[in-house]
Amino acid sequence: MTDVTRTAQAALLDTPPLAGGPSDGGGTGTKRRTASRRSGSRREAWVAFGFLSPWIVGLLLLTIGPMLYSLYLSFTRYDLLSPPVWAGFANYERMLAADPRFIDSVQVTFLYVVVSVPAVLVASLGVALILNQGMKALSVYRAAFYLPSLIGGSVAIALLWRQVFGQEGIFNQVLAVFGIQGQSWIGNPNSALYTLVVLNVWTFGSTMIIFLAGLRQVPRELHEAASVDGANVFRRFRHVTLPLLTPLIFFNILMTTINAFQAFTPAYVISNGSGGPLNSTLFYTLYLYQRGFANLEMGYASAMAWALVVVLGIFTALLFASARYWVHYGDER
Amino acid sequence: MTIQSSATRRRHRTVAATAALGALLAVSACAGGTSVGEAPSGDEVVDGQGEVTGSARLAWWGAGQRNEVTNAVADMFEEEHEGVTIEREFADFGAYFQRLNVQGTSGNLPCLTQMQGRQLNDYTSRNLFLPLDPMIESGAIDVSDIPEEVLDTGRGTDGNLYVVPYGAAYDALVVNETLVEQAGSEMLPEGYTWEDLQSWAMEMQPNLPEGVSALSLSGGRPNFLISYMAAKGETLFKDGKLGFSEEALAEYWTMWEEMRKAGATATPAQMSEQPEQPEQSYVSRGVTVADTAPGNSIINSQATLDGLGNGQTLTSLPLPSGEAGPGNVLFTSGFAIPVNCDNVPTAAAFIDFWANNDEAAAVFASSNGAVTNSRHLEAQLENPELPELRKHDLELYQQIAESEPPTVVYPPGYQATFEESYTRAYERVSFGEVSIEQAVSDFFTEVNAGLGATG
Amino acid sequence: MTTYAPAPRKPLFGRTMSRNKMVLAVARHFTMIVVLIVILYPLLWMVGASFRPANETFNTLSLWPGNFTLDNYVDGWTLGSFTFSRYFFNSLLITLLSVVGNVIACALAAYAFARLEFPFKRTLFAVMLGTMLLPYHVTLVPQYVLFNELAWINTILPLTVPKFLATDAFFIFLMVQFMRTLPRELDDAARLDGCGHVGIFRRIILPLSIPALGTTALFTFINTWNDFLGPLLYLNRPELWTVTQGLNSFLDATGQSTFGPLFAMATLSLAPVVGFFFAAQRLLIEGIATSGLK
Repeated sequence: MTDVTRTAQAALLDTPPLAGGPSDGGGTGTKRRTASRRSGSRREAWVAFGFLSPWIVGLLLLTIGPMLYSLYLSFTRYDLLSPPVWAGFANYERMLAADPRFIDSVQVTFLYVVVSVPAVLVASLGVALILNQGMKALSVYRAAFYLPSLIGGSVAIALLWRQVFGQEGIFNQVLAVFGIQGQSWIGNPNSALYTLVVLNVWTFGSTMIIFLAGLRQVPRELHEAASVDGANVFRRFRHVTLPLLTPLIFFNILMTTINAFQAFTPAYVISNGSGGPLNSTLFYTLYLYQRGFANLEMGYASAMAWALVVVLGIFTALLFASARYWVHYGDER
Repeated sequence: MTIQSSATRRRHRTVAATAALGALLAVSACAGGTSVGEAPSGDEVVDGQGEVTGSARLAWWGAGQRNEVTNAVADMFEEEHEGVTIEREFADFGAYFQRLNVQGTSGNLPCLTQMQGRQLNDYTSRNLFLPLDPMIESGAIDVSDIPEEVLDTGRGTDGNLYVVPYGAAYDALVVNETLVEQAGSEMLPEGYTWEDLQSWAMEMQPNLPEGVSALSLSGGRPNFLISYMAAKGETLFKDGKLGFSEEALAEYWTMWEEMRKAGATATPAQMSEQPEQPEQSYVSRGVTVADTAPGNSIINSQATLDGLGNGQTLTSLPLPSGEAGPGNVLFTSGFAIPVNCDNVPTAAAFIDFWANNDEAAAVFASSNGAVTNSRHLEAQLENPELPELRKHDLELYQQIAESEPPTVVYPPGYQATFEESYTRAYERVSFGEVSIEQAVSDFFTEVNAGLGATG
Repeated sequence: MTTYAPAPRKPLFGRTMSRNKMVLAVARHFTMIVVLIVILYPLLWMVGASFRPANETFNTLSLWPGNFTLDNYVDGWTLGSFTFSRYFFNSLLITLLSVVGNVIACALAAYAFARLEFPFKRTLFAVMLGTMLLPYHVTLVPQYVLFNELAWINTILPLTVPKFLATDAFFIFLMVQFMRTLPRELDDAARLDGCGHVGIFRRIILPLSIPALGTTALFTFINTWNDFLGPLLYLNRPELWTVTQGLNSFLDATGQSTFGPLFAMATLSLAPVVGFFFAAQRLLIEGIATSGLK
């Protein structure tokens, strides 16, 4: 941790309690260890399982069963309407060796993840920081930025997106003002995916809300102490805000990436479920869905799903492994 | 449906649920049962006779107005049969089939399941529906007023009747008369051919206003291809595989490519962003002069055009003819009774009611394709309050039905494999990704591998 | 008890604002509004279109309705077997139950993961994360089989019971991340005051996690409100329909679609969500500042 942060924290801890009573709140990363805390006691374990009990019941009754069943299905041929037939690794072999559309869907999805995840994260963190500055009419702005997220998956969105990026859409009208000849952005295989990236960025509101909520937890005093110390805005952001925000940055990176890999609704709604034109918006889960529910190849769809689990599992594990180098939790001692 | 198979079916469902419950219940009985899809054992024949009582589920696809009239018909049936409840389930076309397939996994298909020929054999090939022929023989369902060719569209690949078609849709060439006139062209003559259509479009194009195309680029529309092949006298499907030749398809796409390159059609990108609802298609918005569309959509398309306020009017023609005659085929909808239905007499009575009750037909008013019962069709045509365009629509249907259109039996997997691959294959051509020959050969390989495949 | 309440924020532009700052503020608001108009254009267009006559819906890119009419609202509200008031009621019921269930169940689980030590903690945490990685399309069928066997079809149970069992790991993980930003010293102090785990959870962690709870409530509200697939599969009878099913019944590729009423009802369906947002955002954003411990 940097000097600025440490000074800031020291300053914070020196401030008198705010409303009477002993307080050691607000500080992070202090080294004090309380004798009364002993981890792993049997009593604590019982309490923990008590807290976890709804989740465990849900896991055993509703989640694990269907998950394992789908794992089993991935080794079968299953057309939904008649019982599954064991097929060994046939689905996995077909996926890797004999399905060009599978390869297309992997490429489309990777491109989408690589382009849209950083864009969403930067936009949401940026706007959250601006909105956290305490502007007037703040709640109106916040709501306004969040509004697109409310309608992002609705049936209406396909129609609205054509009004923006279609041949006759507003985007081309604006381009025409600058003398640029537009095109059908949705209908062109080279640009269709990017209209979905824009759609994803457009609905950055939920990621932004998480950042905003996290920013509210950064105690003001840290900033003030740091500015007394002579740190400018950028140094304060870099050394005070950013470290405290890392758990949520971590969360948002992980979740935005998982969501992008699993993206389904935008492409489904906008391409009428086809993934067109020319497979250019054939997201992985859209293709999986087509295989499972249109072609009635649920065995193959399950195999695709579990292949995705492996990829996402590796990504998640790597991200967690990296976390200890850059994520700072307030509960670390 | 026998008592025994219903019991085994229930057992199968229990096994499936057990598997889903995983670790918790896996210890309980795990004997293998018969499957949801297995044929009813023995030679038991279900003739649909019995007491009409209790409840039955009715499922259909549609929006707005169609839902209202379907509900009205179901209400009328309930009134006529005391003690009967018709539980309704409806959703739009895509959502309807998604739900149906999930329900199918649990042997939970509605007693009255709406079907089209395009999907029918996905289900019949898995023995999920009861043959209706015995119910017709027993008198439970009367189909005497439905023309034979129309009735045949409800048959499965095995020749049994699974659906009594109540409404017949057809595709027509919807043409913007006003634009044709302004371009100084004549209307297409009766019995026009594909060659006529092509030269008509290409001659008209230079005289059309900026931004208007003579035709939509519909080389990727499956129904248009079907009508082309029918007009040429080619077989569409044979033994569950493609029945026409690669050359015929290449010829068809070559014709479209000529028109596209001459600028007489909309662009591939435009087609790709065209909304799937017919009333927002380019021909409905005066952006193209003519396109193929469901015959009954002309009414809604004209309403959209009226909203633009430029006074243009639409009309519709039969699809082009060829060596083998007119190219129109019928796409019928009707209800099937699944084997898991526990109230077959009521379901059969409902199908009969829908097909023959005069008041019900008047209320439904051909809301999902022209009514197939000839008596009802006459009655609707004679109705003085029938709007002009609707009358035109029904007359066109009558004309097509009288020309004895070929019956297409769609193999299992048709919609998912054929339609989807077809549209994509022509996209590859029109966006210039591959040559026509390459696209045709890839298409044949892909579709023949996928058609009829189960699982 | 302790108090943890950072001083209320000083507004950046107070009464003592200098001329320069004033210019800056105006510039900033101006930029914001321009950006917002760009971002909100599709929504504003939809609202405008909802006031146009039904067959003129797509005639213009302008935000202004033109031939103003309320017909779409009247027609849309009554279209179908039941009116939208029924669908709104069903949606609200399911949504509110889901919010309550999700907030409680996920907070409980998150506390255990964030603060307590127990055997197999790392394994269970990994399992919890693992449940997020599988696309839901492939568990849909086994879940349907299960709920069908329980005879839960045509009840709201398949849509609400899972929420009370914390099946959405996203929110557990979110709350864990929030709770872990809270200093342990708070727990220790409370423990010295004689609080047990339940006490710490209730009196320290919950109040300080209000932003996280608010976020969870908000997201659950929106996800449930916008959910289409769940109601489609489990709520077949029209009297049980939710708003999304009602909206979907305006469009059909095989028959007549009604776009004007669709946009009208889509506009109305945003109202509860926006309302909930304004209610929740006070908790969300002002949570810590206003809710000192009692």
